[in-house]
Amino acid sequence: MKRISCLLVANRSEIAVRIIRACRDLGIKTILAASEADRESLPAQMADRVVCIGPPPPGESYLKVGAMIMAAVGTGAEAIHPGYGFLAEQPELPEACARYGLIFVGPKAAQIRQMGDKILARQMAESLGIPVIPGSGLIQNLGEAMARAEKLGYPILLKAAAGGGGRGMKIARQPGDLKIIFAEASAEAHAAFGDSRLYLERFIPTARHVEIQIMGDQHGNLVHLGERDCSLQRRYQKMLEEAPSPALSPDLREEMGKAALVLAHHIRYESAGTVEFILDPEEKKFYFMEMNTRIQVEHPVTEMITGIDLVKEQIRIASGQPLGFSQEDVKPTGHSIECRINAESPEQGFHPSPGRIDLWNPPRGERIRVDTHGHAGYFVPPYYDSLLAKIITWGQNRLEAISQMQKALGNFHVSGVDTTIPFHRFLLRNPDFLQGAVHTRWIEDVLLKEFEQNARDYLC
Amino acid sequence: MTSITQDDVLLILKLLEESAFDELHVETEDLKLWARKHGTGISLDEAALDGKRPKPPLTIEPASAEGPDLDLSAMKSSGAKAEAQTGKQTCEPSVTGQGLNPIKAPMLGTFYRTPKPGAPPYVEVGSVVNEDDPVGIIEVMKLFTTVKAGVRGRIVQVFAEQGQMVEFQQTLFLVEEISEGKDLPKASPG
Repeated sequence: MKRISCLLVANRSEIAVRIIRACRDLGIKTILAASEADRESLPAQMADRVVCIGPPPPGESYLKVGAMIMAAVGTGAEAIHPGYGFLAEQPELPEACARYGLIFVGPKAAQIRQMGDKILARQMAESLGIPVIPGSGLIQNLGEAMARAEKLGYPILLKAAAGGGGRGMKIARQPGDLKIIFAEASAEAHAAFGDSRLYLERFIPTARHVEIQIMGDQHGNLVHLGERDCSLQRRYQKMLEEAPSPALSPDLREEMGKAALVLAHHIRYESAGTVEFILDPEEKKFYFMEMNTRIQVEHPVTEMITGIDLVKEQIRIASGQPLGFSQEDVKPTGHSIECRINAESPEQGFHPSPGRIDLWNPPRGERIRVDTHGHAGYFVPPYYDSLLAKIITWGQNRLEAISQMQKALGNFHVSGVDTTIPFHRFLLRNPDFLQGAVHTRWIEDVLLKEFEQNARDYLC
Repeated sequence: MTSITQDDVLLILKLLEESAFDELHVETEDLKLWARKHGTGISLDEAALDGKRPKPPLTIEPASAEGPDLDLSAMKSSGAKAEAQTGKQTCEPSVTGQGLNPIKAPMLGTFYRTPKPGAPPYVEVGSVVNEDDPVGIIEVMKLFTTVKAGVRGRIVQVFAEQGQMVEFQQTLFLVEEISEGKDLPKASPG
């Protein structure tokens, strides 16, 4: 076991603030690795020391393994926390940490690699008996596509082998559609990715995104902390997350938790991780999608219902300590919701809105948590992700948590930059959302159309 | 003309970022845009103005509230004591002033003043340098980058020590300009 007395935060924004807070609680000093654009940021003011690692573009600062390692070595930090994004899932960072005798707060490089190849990860899950979405291998021609689609059943999703993040996907509802779409999709895939190869996947019309939080230590202890429902997405970007999922039965929850642990045990996973599933609520079936080997943006909803501080636990585990709790200790209570507030203009197609914040009045109150690096006078730089704040509320049940969130959104006032607050206010009043009757395409297919018609009412 | 959109502003900021320039001014009928890469410096325009001009509507970094971090007149009178340690340690302030130019670290890493262990330093106080002269080495995970002076003149102060971690844009040396034709040895023309 190695004691950590000083830790380098290799990230920015709200997650840097979050990590610094956890370190303060643990009595650990913090060094913030900041780009030139972030030297005056809130985490920079909070950290015990700031080290300027490079110019604003991430490729010259936050994505530089060497700069992070030298910054840690040069300041006497014993550990590096990568947060999420940037270097969090780059195996080169934990590898370099090992060479320089530094602790990487996260999984082993090999585990990041194993789960980083999404196709191999799916094959591994399948070999362990974890269901994956039924699909075909690569399809050579239309005849083959027709035959495979007949077996898998319509509607069917046609995907570009080189695609990702939702790009290069088309839906065929019947054999006639497939005939037309196949040539189109092949040509589009070639134009977009320089690779015309396609494959088929069963289409689940009301699919939900449900993920299981897991946590493992260096001594082989592994637990799951229940699920988060992240079905509310726009262009595959999560906008609102909640725990527990309104669409999961206790039996299904237990099955998913077990499936996540089977995979985690197989790779002897350490640190915080998330196993993502697609849930078909109508068929009551779930399918493995991928595993993320980092702390996630939406981790607070799990913290709110379990009372477990995931970031502190990550740091404790990294120093070699055993997990501070067992599976039996994880007893989720109540309901929690998180809204991601981005510096974007929802009424202008969610266009990024960098600039200086004049007024910053975040909501306060019991059962309301705000994770943010925003403040009055802060300049939102144009180089990075637009996430500005996460509002997290807790209630005895879902409706209470929603009601708290409605209040919190009503009391969140920002000027100087546009934010997604008006959009969230609109979302939190929608009857489908209130009933939990949503799916991963619902925001784009249904809600945004209504929002565009009613946007003006929510802009005040 | 059509008014400048937010997209245009973002594009302008990106262009500036990728360019070799530090500062950019755009003026149209309905918009004045000042954009600057290094927030702590004082732009020529600002220095020339009487201070009543409103804050630039857009700067990439918040300008330092305390004004220039380094008072050059004070430095000269106190025998070049220029360690500007205000509060927490951050990158060194930018030094601009008559006849004095900083040599800054082009990257974060371990700084060495000598070409190899035991060798004499590339430069000392009093050394005269040309733009292309090496003044030190920065090591990042066993990769060594030579730091060139980038300016001509005489080294008047050394800020970074052997083996010290230096941050991006940290001032390593202060160089005093030497008027043409005086002491500065001209690079041989062939």
